[in-house]
Amino acid sequence: MATQYDIPVGAQHISLLEPLHFKLTTENEKIVDVEANVGYVHRGIEKACTSIFKFRQVSFVVGRVCGLCSISHTTAYSQVAEKLINIEIPLRAKYLRMLVIELDRIHSHLLCLSHVAENSGFEALFMQTMRDRELSMELLESVCGNRVQYDYSIVGGVARDLRPDVATDIRTKLALLKPKVDAIMDVFENNYTLSLKNKKVGFLSKEDAMKYNAVGPLARATGLAIDVRNETEDLLPWKQVGYEMITDTRGDVWARNLVRLKELYVSFKIIDNILNGLPEGAILTETKALPEGEAVVRLEAPRGELFYYAKGNKTQTLERLKIKAPTFSNIPSFVETFKGNEYGSAPAIIGSFDPCLSCTAR
Amino acid sequence: MKKIETSLNNLKTDIANFYKFDKQQFMVMNIVDMVEKLEIQWFFADYAHPCDITCFYTYSEPNIQIPSIASIVGGAWVAEAELVDLMGVNIENAKKGFVLEDDFEGSPLRKVK
Repeated sequence: MATQYDIPVGAQHISLLEPLHFKLTTENEKIVDVEANVGYVHRGIEKACTSIFKFRQVSFVVGRVCGLCSISHTTAYSQVAEKLINIEIPLRAKYLRMLVIELDRIHSHLLCLSHVAENSGFEALFMQTMRDRELSMELLESVCGNRVQYDYSIVGGVARDLRPDVATDIRTKLALLKPKVDAIMDVFENNYTLSLKNKKVGFLSKEDAMKYNAVGPLARATGLAIDVRNETEDLLPWKQVGYEMITDTRGDVWARNLVRLKELYVSFKIIDNILNGLPEGAILTETKALPEGEAVVRLEAPRGELFYYAKGNKTQTLERLKIKAPTFSNIPSFVETFKGNEYGSAPAIIGSFDPCLSCTAR
Repeated sequence: MKKIETSLNNLKTDIANFYKFDKQQFMVMNIVDMVEKLEIQWFFADYAHPCDITCFYTYSEPNIQIPSIASIVGGAWVAEAELVDLMGVNIENAKKGFVLEDDFEGSPLRKVK
């Protein structure tokens, strides 16, 4: 047996944006075992939400769980709270929630793709992708008033209506962004150097994706067709606005890149349909009801299924709030995916996971 | 959401009879602290009918060892490790120090009597 070396990656590492630690056990450069540690930045948000804050304030607190998918957390929490107080929100508010979720997915996927490019040694593509992503960030600021923590979904609806000039701005900037995504797609799909770094690297089979409960683009890139947008119509009418599932069967870094890129086009289509068919009416249902009973909500965040469980006892403070983030579900798959790959491929593989420790260690 | 009551003694058998890795998706394990006792929950979704969420649940005293389902459900070890740290429960074979420091004392999500 060759000598084995343990190589630490993280908690601070050039290829990691997040405080995540992998101990990679290697044998002749090949990764043979992996240990993951996510315990660096736990912030106790669930505890704060069930002790300090009233249930209507919690949507603003969970928005701080993650800077990248803040809208997913605030929407999922608002939905679970709405179930507990048994209210239906206006259709216009549902459409506006979907609009911001898809704008958020665009910026989040572009961020992930840029880091895969950077971790694969393609600095120019990283900069190009980050530059183009700015258009989606500007749109989020126009719609929500903030670039990062939007506080857009609130219990009962949304916090701001969409002004006609902002709707026009969205159309204009997305028309600018589409050809830029075409260009990025062309590089990811056809660049020979990038294909060497990404093809057949970090392979996860569909069977393993199911065995280790993978979610999001990581699962869909293996051919496992799971996406909450395809599954639930009661809380947000995704199919009404043209949602379609993107899958790939190749299961490697390259497939994950392409799934994310193709999902950008689905997001463009959904946003277009939302703007064309945005219902008139109120954006908020107001009530003084108190949360009672227990409820669960699933929502497709950019990284996969986000799960919220809440239990209320007819007081202002929730009895329990449980948040399960997609990166948390994907940790067992991450660990398995590394095995058998060269150590030099680890940064690209990590980038393709799109890990979010801010969500995981909320 | 369909809730199915189980017991700590029957948990592994019930989950093994229910869970097929290519049919069900394990979502999460959760504990609701009711101070005198804990409600322990395991959530699953069905790949073919994803809106069908099944929750296995049981009640337990806080200091009783909870069986692990990680041998049946491949991805369950992370959810178990998290609850060991945050709820201070004793779960069979679950590692401590996964989401908090190894030497962290206390159980941040437990309610004080």
